[in-house]
Amino acid sequence: MRPGVITHVTPIMLGQVIVSGLLAGALYAMVALGLGLIFGVMRVLNVAHGPLLMLGAYITYWLFSTVGLNPYLSLLVSMPLVFLIGVALQHVLVRRVVDAPELSSLLLTFGISIALVNLAQLAFTSDLRSVEFLTGSFLVGPFAFSKSRVIACLFAAGITTLAFLFLQKTRMGKAIRAVSQSREVAQVCGINVQRIHLFAFGLASALAAAGGTLVAVMVAIQPEMGAVYTFKSFLVIVLGGAGNYPGALLGGLLLGLVEQLASLFLTTQVNEAVAYVLLVLVLLLRPTGLLGGRST
Amino acid sequence: MPGPILQVRNLVKSFGGVTAVNGVSLSLEAGKIYGLIGPNGSGKTTLFNCITGIERRDGGAIGFKGRRIDGLKPHQVFHRGIGRTFQVIRVFPELTALENLLVVTSGDYARSRKRAEELLRFVKLERLADEYAGNLSYGQQKLVEFIRVLMSDPELILLDEPAAGVNRTLLNELLDAVRALRDRGKTVFLVEHDMKVVMGLCETVFVLDHGEKLAEGPPGVIQSDERVIEAYFGR
Amino acid sequence: MTLATELQRWGRWFLPGLAVLLVILALFPIWATGYGVRVMLQLFMWIALAQSWNLISGLTGYVSFGHVAFFGMGAYTTGILVTRGMPWPLAALAGGAMAVVLAFVIGWPCLRLKGPYFAIAMLGLNEVLRVAASYFEGLTGGGLGLSLPTLDASVRIYYAMGLVALAVTGLTHAIVTSRFGLRLMTIREDEVAAEAMGIDTFRYKIYAFLLSAVAPGIVGGLAARDMGYIEPISVFPLLTTITMIVMVLFGGKGTIWGPVLGAVILFTFQELVWAHFPHAHQVLLGAIIITVVLAMPRGILGVLQQKYNLPRTV
Repeated sequence: MRPGVITHVTPIMLGQVIVSGLLAGALYAMVALGLGLIFGVMRVLNVAHGPLLMLGAYITYWLFSTVGLNPYLSLLVSMPLVFLIGVALQHVLVRRVVDAPELSSLLLTFGISIALVNLAQLAFTSDLRSVEFLTGSFLVGPFAFSKSRVIACLFAAGITTLAFLFLQKTRMGKAIRAVSQSREVAQVCGINVQRIHLFAFGLASALAAAGGTLVAVMVAIQPEMGAVYTFKSFLVIVLGGAGNYPGALLGGLLLGLVEQLASLFLTTQVNEAVAYVLLVLVLLLRPTGLLGGRST
Repeated sequence: MPGPILQVRNLVKSFGGVTAVNGVSLSLEAGKIYGLIGPNGSGKTTLFNCITGIERRDGGAIGFKGRRIDGLKPHQVFHRGIGRTFQVIRVFPELTALENLLVVTSGDYARSRKRAEELLRFVKLERLADEYAGNLSYGQQKLVEFIRVLMSDPELILLDEPAAGVNRTLLNELLDAVRALRDRGKTVFLVEHDMKVVMGLCETVFVLDHGEKLAEGPPGVIQSDERVIEAYFGR
Repeated sequence: MTLATELQRWGRWFLPGLAVLLVILALFPIWATGYGVRVMLQLFMWIALAQSWNLISGLTGYVSFGHVAFFGMGAYTTGILVTRGMPWPLAALAGGAMAVVLAFVIGWPCLRLKGPYFAIAMLGLNEVLRVAASYFEGLTGGGLGLSLPTLDASVRIYYAMGLVALAVTGLTHAIVTSRFGLRLMTIREDEVAAEAMGIDTFRYKIYAFLLSAVAPGIVGGLAARDMGYIEPISVFPLLTTITMIVMVLFGGKGTIWGPVLGAVILFTFQELVWAHFPHAHQVLLGAIIITVVLAMPRGILGVLQQKYNLPRTV
């Protein structure tokens, strides 16, 4: 019997795993919502999404290691700052490929991601960094949940809720949803599509950065940390359906659950392949997402 | 040939919550020109897309020359003998006009080339054979798309808004070409907004409204059908 | 006389010029140093890699972000076979064959997806293979890597790499000037219209993908023999994919000589300048991609093509 492979599962283990999955899922949902916004509004696949998350993590790390700022407070810095970076990227670069063939935007954001990752490497070196802030677990009956994961989930859930309220209730939010449905119709209705693009990219970047900040407390920080989140965010979007914002939420939770469940039966290394296999399966069987959405 | 060349029975196609085609049935006989009209959003292009396999239908059946074709992939539908043009021109911009035609057929290269050159001469574009299709004018691209369909000599030709954005002279040439096709035994089915074209060209006209077949008949009858007038000008 | 006609006049010298160059390259190892041979050998490798990427991504527009997977596959196949006694030329060919098998396994499900989704699927591929290489330790030596018996075959590998580079360029020429190539391009131009015109796009994509895996597989095997040591991180590096992409984009995707041009220029810069500043190097690559996509999407050759009305088959 290989280590890590469990032969039978108790209800307690199952419960632990399910809740852990949901905790992780909330974070995935928040980050994926960002990616989904960019795709929904501009039909751009933002390969640089993960690096934006990485920027958030490094901002948190830097503030923590220089002035000892509470990582959760650094959300107030990382989110607005990366929002502005996102707006700048959109305005200077991404806007030029919004109407180009998808290949162009894919390559462009790929180029941006390389540049960002290596700039981080120049600035911080590839040494692993960490933010030692919160350790230990909450003990609830027979279950133990890592404190940082629970708090990350709470913040993620809160931010995601705010994002959804924004999309539903505010004028700008509604405009974003309108442009996601049909750019032409939105233009005819007098919506300044350019501004929406800028804002959406900024918002998406902020969401990614929030993810980075929350994750900084939990994992090792290094320049290439974002890549796996880019990929998983794509997976969530595919699961939930492109352009289906509530779908991203459910998709994120689903991914979290599947991953945690898989970890019961598979070694950690193979775990990484789970997300990938899931992506290929869903793309083949239900390309419009499990919950329906637009196909490209 | 006995029986209709194309039969559509109770076709249904939805996108999310919107039903674009809601139980449409129609039947085309070989060697005639048919028209499909209806207000914007009535499901005309969706119907075409379902017939050619670009969209997968949700319900109903489509038969061509007596065999079912729903569920086939577009390239398979093509090889059964159905060709189409698109509402928005879809030539291959980075291929030359000649190459646009050559990609359609396989087999004997020399024979394909000869046919391609013939077709280019037919629409008087032979001097533009080696010009990138993306550099051609709108009207020229339209013609290239039209003759591209003819390369494989399909029996049923679907034309999606062939008159859109086309000047008078060119339009007349196109219409003459369509009549010539009919005379050779081909069946032509066209979606069109230009009523004069439809009335002057088609032998039978189908009217779609909100995804349903509203009326069917010769142009003169359709023109004075109250329901059709209502559909176009509102209730 | 316009530049176009000038170039056409020079065009007649192209083939003889090429022949002379090939003779020089063939005789190169006689008077060159070992270092010189290894440098040129690497250049040939990059040309082969770039041309292969061009076959799938340049012609069909389906961006393969994980192409280095075939390189690694070839490397490991060859490495494993050589350690079991197979002569390296045969092992390298086996590497190419295994790469094609991998391409089929991946391509069969993934090429049904539309372009952007395919690209996403390929993004994750690298990671999966790296994990797989570490996982199947018994076979691959896991994270510790695989050592090949020592052998100095630089000169022979030089010729082998050169042959592969030549072959792939020849293959590209044959494809681009054929109806098969035209059909591949229609996939890039307008896949829906291509399907509607009777082109079974899935089948063509698979052909292109399989063809694009052969050279990286063989070249990976040759590189493994040359390096003498393989570990997961060295044969599946993202940097290799990035470099391949930049070379083709820069030189001109979809053309015959674009990838060669891009490979030569970038490789030269790499060796002379950037190798000294590894991180600036990668930032620069990112910047080049951005610049090319925004300013000259058809690469250098594309710009020249437009300006001097050169034929597409250049």
